[in-house]
This record gives sequence, C-alpha cells and structure tokens, in this order.
Amino acid sequence: MRRTFLLEIVMIAVAVAFLFPVYTLVSLSLKDPAQISQTPLALPDPPTFDNFTAAWSAAALGPSLVNSTVITVVSLIALIALGSFAAYFLARVQTRLGYGLYILFLLGIVLPFQLGMIPLYRLVTDLGLIGTHAGMILFYTGIQLPFTVFLYTGFIRALPREYASAAQIDGAGHLTAFTRVVFPLLRPITGTVLILNAVFIWNDFFTPLVYLGGSGFETVPVSVFAFVGQYVSQHGLVFAGLVLGALPIVAVFLALQRYVIKGFSSGLKG
Amino acid sequence: MTPLTAWRARPARTARPRRSATTPPWLFAAPALAVYALVVLYPAISGVVYAFTDWSGIGQDMSFVGLANFRTLLGDEQAMGSIGNTLLLTLAVVAVQNGVGLLLALGVNARLKSRALLRVIFFAPVVVSPVMVAFLWKYIYNPDPEAGLNGLLGLHVDWLGDPSVALWSIAGMVVWQYAGYSMVIFLAGLEGVPKELHEAAMIDGAGTFQRFRYVTWPLLAPAVTINLMLSTIGGLKLFDQVFAATNGGPGYATETLSTVLYKQAFVFGKFGYSTAVALVLALFVAAVSLVQVYYLRGREVSA
Amino acid sequence: MTDLLHDARVSRAQFFRLMGGLALATAATACSTRPETTATTGGGGTTTDLKFIGVSDQKAPMDKLAAAYAQAKPGVRVTPSYAPTDQVQTSLRTQLGAGNAPDLHVVYPGNGSAMSMSQIAKAGLLADLSAQPWTQTIPAGFKPAFQLDGKTYIYSAGSSVIGAVYNKKVFQQAGVDAPPTTWSEFLSVCDKLKKAGVVPIALGAQTPWVTQLITYALVPSTVYAKDPAFDDKQLAGQASFTGSGWQQAFEMYLELQKRGFFNDKPNGTTFEQQTSMVATGKAAMAVQVSAVLPDFRKAASSPDDLSMFPVPGADDAASVWIPAGVVVGLGVSAKGRNAEAAKAFVDFLGKQENINAWAKEIAAIPLTQDASSTIDPAVQSFLPFTKDRAVPFMDQRWPNAEVQPVHFAVVQELLAGDSTIAEALKKMDEAYRK
Repeated sequence: MRRTFLLEIVMIAVAVAFLFPVYTLVSLSLKDPAQISQTPLALPDPPTFDNFTAAWSAAALGPSLVNSTVITVVSLIALIALGSFAAYFLARVQTRLGYGLYILFLLGIVLPFQLGMIPLYRLVTDLGLIGTHAGMILFYTGIQLPFTVFLYTGFIRALPREYASAAQIDGAGHLTAFTRVVFPLLRPITGTVLILNAVFIWNDFFTPLVYLGGSGFETVPVSVFAFVGQYVSQHGLVFAGLVLGALPIVAVFLALQRYVIKGFSSGLKG
Repeated sequence: MTPLTAWRARPARTARPRRSATTPPWLFAAPALAVYALVVLYPAISGVVYAFTDWSGIGQDMSFVGLANFRTLLGDEQAMGSIGNTLLLTLAVVAVQNGVGLLLALGVNARLKSRALLRVIFFAPVVVSPVMVAFLWKYIYNPDPEAGLNGLLGLHVDWLGDPSVALWSIAGMVVWQYAGYSMVIFLAGLEGVPKELHEAAMIDGAGTFQRFRYVTWPLLAPAVTINLMLSTIGGLKLFDQVFAATNGGPGYATETLSTVLYKQAFVFGKFGYSTAVALVLALFVAAVSLVQVYYLRGREVSA
Repeated sequence: MTDLLHDARVSRAQFFRLMGGLALATAATACSTRPETTATTGGGGTTTDLKFIGVSDQKAPMDKLAAAYAQAKPGVRVTPSYAPTDQVQTSLRTQLGAGNAPDLHVVYPGNGSAMSMSQIAKAGLLADLSAQPWTQTIPAGFKPAFQLDGKTYIYSAGSSVIGAVYNKKVFQQAGVDAPPTTWSEFLSVCDKLKKAGVVPIALGAQTPWVTQLITYALVPSTVYAKDPAFDDKQLAGQASFTGSGWQQAFEMYLELQKRGFFNDKPNGTTFEQQTSMVATGKAAMAVQVSAVLPDFRKAASSPDDLSMFPVPGADDAASVWIPAGVVVGLGVSAKGRNAEAAKAFVDFLGKQENINAWAKEIAAIPLTQDASSTIDPAVQSFLPFTKDRAVPFMDQRWPNAEVQPVHFAVVQELLAGDSTIAEALKKMDEAYRK
C-alpha cells in the first residue's frame, strides 16, 4: 500500500510538470501586459478577462466555429462509414489481392502530403469545390482514410468471425450482418477513430487556408492564426485567442476521453 | 489479437476456400477505395511527375530534366545535412517519447486513486494543434531567465537559439505533446497482460523488475511495434513543429528533410526539385517502416 | 458533437440514415456549392465577390478600404482573408500553381522572393495595371519595385524605412538628448544606455526576417553611398558580396554584439519578445522596419514615447544613407474570373485619399502626397534622406528567392559564433549566382 502511495505522489508530480505549459498558456491569457512583463511566472493577480473579450471580437470566431463544426462532423461520419465498411472487407478477405489492397491503404500513412498537393488542389478546383465545405470534407475523408482503415482493420481482425456467420446462418446478408452485428461491436475503436480524426481535422491549419482562404468559410485555426499574426507582440491577447480556438476540441476530448483511452484497449477482450 | 497487431495479420497461406462465407463482397471496400484513390493516390502519382521537371511551381514553363533533380540532391549540402538532423530528431523523439510513454503507462496502470485524471492529463496535449503547441513553447523556451522554463528551473539555457541545443528543444516539445499518445497504446498492451501470469511469477519469487522483464515486456511487443512505427513515421515527416518553432534555424541547425522540401517548393520556387526531395523522403519513410516491421515482427514471434 | 459519441451504438436505422444522408450530401454539394462568384442579391442586382488573400500586416488598411469600397460601389464586395507571411506564401503558391488564384492577392515589390512582383509577373500570372492613372505618378526610384519591362504589376501605398525604433523616455533617463547621427555617436549612445542598465538594442533574431534588418540598415551607407550602381554591377557579375561594403556592414553588426549592446541570446529571442522589450522599456531600441511601428505602439503603455531615427552607418553624417523600400502590396490575378472588377478596386486604392489612408494605418510614407497626406511623426527624421540618399531594401533587386533566406541563416550563424564573415559572404554569393 505504501508503495502505491509513493507511486501516486510521483505520478502526480509528473502530471504537475506536464501541466506547466498549460499553466503558462492560461495564466498569461489572464494577465495584462504589465503583469506579463513583470511577473511572467506568477499567478494572475488580479486575473483579467479583457484578453478573452478582445480576442473573441477581434478574431470573429463565431462563424468559424460553425464552419469547423460542419466540416469536422460530416468528415467524421464519412470516415466512420467508409472506413468501417472497407476495413470489414479487408479484415476478412483471404486473398493476396485483398492483402495488397490493405498495404495500398497503409501507403497513405507514409506519403508526405506535399507530393500530391498541387494535383489535388487542381482536382478540387476542377470539381468546383474550392471554397466549399464539401471540398474540405472530401479532402479530409480521403486523407484520413488510411489511418481509419488501419485502426478498424486491426480491431475487426481481433473479432471472431462467428458473430457474423451466426447472423448469416439466420438468413441475413453481409450488409445486415455488418450493420446489425459487427458495427455495434466496433464501438470502442470508433471512439478512438472519432477523436483522433477529430483532432486532426479540427486543428488542421494549412489545408483550410489554401482551400477556404477568402471564401468566408474559414475554419477556427485560420481565423485564430490570422488574429495571432496581427497581434503577435501581445502575448496575453494571442494566448487568449489560442485558448478560445482550442477550447471546443478540448471540451470534446474531455467528453469522450473515456472512449479515447479505452478505445485502443478494449479490443483486447474481444 | 489486438488492434495493434493489424499490420502483421497477413493472410494465412493455408489452403482455405478463396472466399469463405464470412468474407464480405468487394463492394464493401469500393467507396473507400474510390475516395482514397481520388484524393490520395491519383494526386500523389501525378505529383511524382514533377520530380523529373524543372517546374518553378507557378506558370506554364516546365521541361523534363530526367534525373537531374536527384543528382542535384546528392550534391546539395543543405539537403544532405538535413538528413542527419532528421535522423537525430527522429531517434530522439522515438526513444524519449516511447520511454516516457511506457513509464507513464506503467505508472497509471497501477491501482492509483488519481489514475483516471492522470490519463486525461497526459493525453490532453495530443488534442491541441501542433502549430499552437509550437507557438506556446516558443514562449516557454524564451531565453529570459525570469520567464518560461528558464524561470521555472533557474536556468540560462538558450533553448531555441543555441545551434547545439535547438534540435533537442524541438524534440522535447514533441515528446511533451505525444508521450500521452504512446502511453495510451502501451496501456492497451498492458491491459492484455493476464493478471494470473503476474501472480504466478510473484509466487515464483520474481521481483518487480524481473516480472516486467519476463512477463510484461514480451507481451507488450505488439504495442511496442505500433508505437515505434507510428513515432518513427511521425518523426521522419515532422514538419509543423519545426517550421513554427525555428523554421530550420538558427542557421541550418534544425533543418530537416521536411523543411528543406518545403522551402524549395514555396520559398525558393523550385517545385520540381522539392518533389524529388519529397519522393526520396517517402521512399525513406517506407523503407524504414518496412525494416522496422520485419525486424520487430521477428521479435514478436520469438516472444 | 457529443451526439456522435453515440454513433458507436447507433441503431441500424440511424446508421442508414447517416450513410444515405452522406451520399445525398456529397452528391448535392458537388453540384450546388460551386463557388458562386456572382450571386443574385435580394434587390435584383448582382454582387461580385472579390477574393483577397493577404498577410496579417495588411489587415488593418485593407479592412478599412474594403469597407469604404462597399459604400462606394455596392455591387462589389471584397472578401479578404489574412494569415502570417509564411502560411500565405504556401497557400498562394499552391493556388497559383494549380491555376486558381484569388482575384486579388498579396505581392511583394521588386524581385528576390517567391511572392515578389517579378517572379509572379514573369510567370504571366499578374494583370497589367499600367492603364490606371495612379501608376503614372510612381516616383522614378521606385519603378523597379513596381514594374517589370515597363509595365506596372503591383499596387503599394508607399514606402517604409528601416531604422531604430526607440523609447524616448529611456534615452532621456540615460542622459541621451538627441539621436546619434554618426556611427561613433551611435556606439557611444549604446554605451551610455548600457551603463544606465538598459539593453541598448533588442534583437529578436530567432524570427528569421528580423536578422536582416541591421545589415539592411547599414548597407546603404557602407555600400550604396559609395557606389549607387552596386545593384546593377552585381547583376552584371561585376561585383559580389565578398569584397564589398557588405563585409564592413557585417563587421559593424558583430561589433555591436561584441560590445554587449544586444540583449542576451538574440538567437533565442523572438520578434514578439523584441517588441515587448522596447515597449516596456527593458530595451532602449530595436532596429526595425517602420511598418511594425503599430505593433510596438500596441504593446507599449505610452505609445507616444516611441519614435524612430535613421541608423547612422557612416562616420560622416553627410554620407549616411538609409534603406527605404516600397511596402508589401497587392496584385490582380491575370486569369481570375473577376479580373476587371479587381482592377477597378485597385484603381480605387490608387486614389490619393486611399493611398493616404492605407499609408497612415501602417506608418508608411505615402507613395504620392497631397495636402491631406500625413506622415507619421516617428518617421519625419527620415524624410531629408528619401530624396537622394535612400535605397530600396536590398532583396528587392536580388535575382532569385534564395539569397534572402541564406542571409537570415548566415546572420544567425554569425551571432552564434559558428561562422566567419568571409564564409557568410561566400554563401550569399553562391546563392546569388544560382
């Protein structure tokens, strides 16, 4: 018991160290410039929320939040739907061709994004999707599919085939067997897929800047960094902007954290 | 089997029926394949063509130059130097991130009262955007002895400004952000270690370290593999953090393959050459991951 | 968002709704949400949206003038978007490369960067603005910044100077009454400041572009005062960085470091930290471009304490020259669907009152001046030089985009003590000849 207690103390100390950057971020965002230059490390005394109100109005985050949410949510739905179906096939297929297809998907994790950047932009232009939510959704669905397929395939392979066969013996087709029996079993890994993709899509800065810049459909990171670029020298204000931009994804993480952390592991019991 | 062993689940070569009743039809993979081919494969393949041209990145002027870009790369001191930085950075990130991740996982896997909260704290940096993390850490790494990390630890280190320190500072920032990611994967592996094995080993008189070495560690192999693979790919391709923190500086001290290919394409206007660098990077990453997988798979089998 | 949490245990009916909805959405958006550059408004007229992509420093003037244009011409709306320079460069090059540039976008004057007027105009991607009346009044000395082969491709509201942004109060407290006018005076002022316990010069060399400013401030005196045609000679291959006054400028740069006039660890200090050091009085001055004066003022508790003076790069006050460069501007995409409407907007920006308005926002010297032009009091001391003792920022005449980043890197190496001046000049020469 004493050893557990000791370990607990050590781990809490490590956690406090881990939180130092977060403390810096939040405490600076609550300070006025004088406090930042005179007592950079101390607690804000008194804390001021002026930075937040100023950042909120200057960065015009309202519409960006809507754009980011639409793009992230629809991309996630597409990723989960396309990814789980494909992974179910890839996990069950026995042929060399099927394995080759799986490797082909994994290749997407390795490729540097710069390689296809210009042709892809040209393609999205030709489809008439520049400056639209649909263009971004298509982009994220494609780019994140390899990782999604990778996570789902591994998980499905760990599931016994018997579940689906039993359903099929009852006369159900593959589609019904998957949606009624297999997909519900994928809940934990879907949690993982959801948060990891959400983190990537929500935080991505470069693609929305290229695809949505000037369209009026900018996402949160684009608005936040436009704001940051303008107020570089005012750390309190900038950090308040960064906090506001990160808040939604952190909130989603906190709501989902049980699934995220268990998602990786619950497959072990399957 | 765990989701972490996905890569090694190669189809068994036994004489099974080509399509068993439990194999779903190809149609299941068709929509995903279509989107993937459209958004990733087709652009990447058509992008490769530029590696054999002298295209500036804008305008119509372009001619085929054969392998000239690859020859230039061999004689390009900066690009070659950046390979060294890329490897060092990757090595540091892979070793420390996974080391820290494993220790965190072992720590929070114990029956601690605060384990749920600790897991959340350690994983939280993963959800924050890398560009934002770099922005924050630039402040934390500020050389002012009264602010940031120097102020906290009472040091006078020039974290990002000293050419011999900067690369490691970037590694530190990356480790802070992603140690929690490794931790979660190790936790998954740890949950697969049966309690009975530990108890049996304890009865046999094995100490904490011995139990870790002979019981936990071999069973962690799949988690180790996936962690090493993901962090290696991430390290080799690392761009956002380096770009936002130092932009390759001071001098060329933190220039990596990713920053070089970025600068060639967007700063110097040598898109063709940049694509050649990107292609080399892609082959490099693919080769390293392949070697890793084969080597580690061997280890797993023997474990 | 939290609803998605339950996707994991979604019912079959819900699942199909999701899938079907997705397919429909994709099909629908593919045909319906093309970027409508021309949309019908409620009033029956049509609105043209002009997309503009710019850098963060353009936000203040551009937002103001875009709003003014909306008043003047209700049928056209400028929808701007801004980001830090590096990111804009990446996104714009991608768009230009794929042949889908925004109607209006940031352009850097002259040559020497991947987003510069010469480089983009050479690729045929910028519309010729020469027919607009304001282009007739571009001062001769600025023509290389605006024109390629006699045609104007960029709009810019004026010029900015590089000099020392200083805190008048801090100077007074250290017993310095007037800004220095020669190099030796400059050194003794720094000495006084240092003895008074403040950092004489804040240097944020961690931010790459800041590294170049001290060399740029000195080179007009050490190179161009002696040889005004240096650029042409260098382009013709008759001169190089090695063996020119660049050597002397680097020596002076390092002398400032050797004498301890910079803050501790300049390579680890960012532009932001540099700004706040001067704004809060921790440092007395920073060598900067006048366009960032608003940043310094925003960060300062009493903005009026801040002013600027030319950095005297010579020991004879009469042979001190200054750098005065055209500020970052914008161009019209040659192939844009709305090129004519975009040109009309630029024509609007070219009106004297709008040049004045833009210049005022960024403390620039207006391109052309009339009675209502204002010049920021902080840059008044530069005006006597602008006529015949000013040279454009050096990179604006460099033949490729590689020299400038090499300059950044060698300055950082010199400050770190990792290189010699001879090596630095050699690297810059190599990049110049590429």
